[in-house]
Amino acid sequence: MQELLRRNPAARAWALIMPSLVFLLVFFVAPLFIVLIYSFLTRGKYGGVVWQFNPENFQRALDPLYFSTFLRSIYIAVVTTLICLVLGYPLAYWITTRPPGQRNLLMLALMIPFWTNFLIRTYAWLTLLRTNTGLINVSLMSLGVIKKPLPLFANDFAIILGLVYGWLPVMVLPIYAALERLDKSLIEAAQDLYATNRHVFLRVIWPLSLPGVVAGSMLVFIPAIGSFVTPAILGGGKSLMIGNIISNQFLAAHDWPFGSALSTLMMLVMLLGTLIYFRSALREGGGV
Amino acid sequence: MDSTPAVELCDVVKTFGEVTAVDHVSIQIQDGEFFSLLGPSGCGKTTTLRLIAGFEMPTSGEIRIGGETQGFRPPFRRPVNTVFQQYALFPHMTVYENVAFGLQMQKIDRAEIRRRVGEALEMVHLQGMEKRRPKQLSGGQQQRVALARALVNRPKVLLLDEPLGALDLKLRKAMQLELKSLQEHVGITFIYVTHDQEEALTMSDRIAVMNEGKVLQIDAPAELYENPKHRFVADFIGETNFLPVKIVQLHPDIVVELGDGTRLPAGWAEEHLRVGQEAMLSIRPEKINLYEERELSPPNATTARVQGTVERLVYVGTDTHHTVRLRNGDTIVARLQNFYVEEEPWEVGETTYAQWDAAHARVLSKE
Repeated sequence: MQELLRRNPAARAWALIMPSLVFLLVFFVAPLFIVLIYSFLTRGKYGGVVWQFNPENFQRALDPLYFSTFLRSIYIAVVTTLICLVLGYPLAYWITTRPPGQRNLLMLALMIPFWTNFLIRTYAWLTLLRTNTGLINVSLMSLGVIKKPLPLFANDFAIILGLVYGWLPVMVLPIYAALERLDKSLIEAAQDLYATNRHVFLRVIWPLSLPGVVAGSMLVFIPAIGSFVTPAILGGGKSLMIGNIISNQFLAAHDWPFGSALSTLMMLVMLLGTLIYFRSALREGGGV
Repeated sequence: MDSTPAVELCDVVKTFGEVTAVDHVSIQIQDGEFFSLLGPSGCGKTTTLRLIAGFEMPTSGEIRIGGETQGFRPPFRRPVNTVFQQYALFPHMTVYENVAFGLQMQKIDRAEIRRRVGEALEMVHLQGMEKRRPKQLSGGQQQRVALARALVNRPKVLLLDEPLGALDLKLRKAMQLELKSLQEHVGITFIYVTHDQEEALTMSDRIAVMNEGKVLQIDAPAELYENPKHRFVADFIGETNFLPVKIVQLHPDIVVELGDGTRLPAGWAEEHLRVGQEAMLSIRPEKINLYEERELSPPNATTARVQGTVERLVYVGTDTHHTVRLRNGDTIVARLQNFYVEEEPWEVGETTYAQWDAAHARVLSKE
C-alpha cells in the first residue's frame, strides 16, 4: 500500500480526497437519494414511511395552497437578493477604495455579526419589530410620531428585513473580491477614452464584477428561499415560507413523504433558478 | 513659425502628502514632436504624464493643451489619449470592441466607427484579429491594440507610459522603430515616458531628463549626450568618466586641477561655479585616446592630457575598454574602437598618456 502511494501520484491524489469524498457520499448524496425515494412513498401513521409507491405527494404539492407558498418564497428570496445587491454593491465598492489596512478591518467588521448565533440575532429583531411591545413602535408612539403601531411584524416586510440583515455580508464578500481584483488602470483607460463616470461603471466595472455579483446572489438566494428560522420568528406564525411547511410536515404533521416531495420540488426550483441566472449573467458579462 | 505649443506645463507642482512628486516643472512641447520624459523610477515622469492626461490634478501651476488651459478638466474632456504601461485592455471586450470604445463614447455613428476601427487595426497590422480577446494575443499584439485604441480617436497628443516595458528586447527594438515611423506617419504629438535612455535617444526629437521631481535638462538626443549640463544627466545618459577637480580659472578659458596638481583645460562649466570650488570633470570614454610618450605632440591649450598606467583591458567586440590608473589614484576608462584587428597596442602595466579634446570635457557641479 505504501509502495503504491509512493509510486503513483494518482493514487496519492485519491488517497487525499478519499475522506471528504466518503463524507460527502454518506452524509450528502445518500440522504438526498433518501429524500427523493421517500417523496414517492406513503406516510406512516406516527411518522416514518410505508414502503408503498405513491405519486400523490407531488400532486398535492402543486395544490394552490402550497403552490402559492412556493411562489411567495421565491418572491421573498428574489426581493431579499435584490435588496442585498443594491445595498451590498456600493458597500463592497466603497471598501475597495479604502487603504489596504482599513479594508481588512472593514471586512472583519462585516463578519462580526456572524459571531453571534443566528437565532439570537433574529430574536433581537423580534424585540425591535413586535407590533405592540416592540422597541421601534413603543418609542415612536411615546414620542408622538405615530398614533397607531406600524405594521412591522408578522409580515413579508419583517421576513425580508431579517433575511437581508442575515445575508448581506455574504453578498458583499464575493463582490468585494471581484472589485478588488479589478485592475484600476482599466477605469483610467475608460476615462481616457471619453467615458463618463456612468459609462465607466456600465461598460467596465459592472461587467467585470459580474462573477462576484453572480456568486453573491447565489449565496443569498439559496439560503433565503429555504429559510425557516427567520419566517418562523419574524413571520409571527402568519407569514410562512416553504421551509416552514416542510419542517411542519416532518415535525408536526408526521407526513415524511409529503415533506420530502416539497423538499425535492424546492431543490428543483433552486436548480432551475441558478441555471437561468448563470446563463443570463454570463451572456451579459460576455463569458468572462 | 511661432505656433502654439501642443502641450505646455507652466511651473507645475504635484505633491502627495509630504512627497513632492513633480517639482516646479515647465515644459513646452511642439506640435508633431516626439517628446520623451526620461528618468529613473520615482523621478516624477509618470506623474507628469498623468497630470497631462488628467488622472492627477496639479497642486499648483498650469497645464495647457493646444493653448487651452486644462484646469481641473477630467480625463474624458481632454483631447489626449494614453497608452498604458500594462496596456489596460478591456479583458471582457474583443479587439474590435476595445478599439471602438473611445469612438462609441464620443457617439460617432456606426458606419464611421467601423471604417475608423478598420483603418486603425490596419495601421498596426492587426487585420483579421477583430474577434479575438486580449488574452488570446501575444504581448506585442496587445501593445498594438493599445496603440490602435488610442490613435483611432485622433487625439491632439498621444501619451505613452513605458509602452514597451513589458516586451522582450528584440521585439522592443523593432517596436521602437515602428512607433517612430508611425508617429511620423500620423503626425500626432507623442509624449513618451521611459527609464530606458537608449529607447529615448533612438526615438525622440527632444528629451526632458528628470530626477527627484525636477526637469534637469531638455534637449535633442545628441545635444543631451554631447553637452550634458548637469552631473545627473551626464551620468544617466550613456557612460562617462568623472574626475574630482578644483576650478583654477574660468575666464577666458576654463582650467581645472586634479588632486596631484595636473592642470587640464575644459570646454564648458556650469554657470554658478566659482574659481576655487571643487567640481567634477566629465569626459565620455570614447572621446579619450591613449598615446605612448614618443607619440605626444607639444602641449596646447585645447588638448587635455594625463599620465597613467594601463590597469585593465575589457574587449567588448566593437571596442576595447581601457581602464587607466592616474598618478593621483583616480581611474578613467578610454573606449578605443577595434579598428585595426591585428594591432594589440596596450598591455596591462604599461605607462600611457590619456588625451582628449578640451571641448569634450565638461565641468559639472559636485551635486
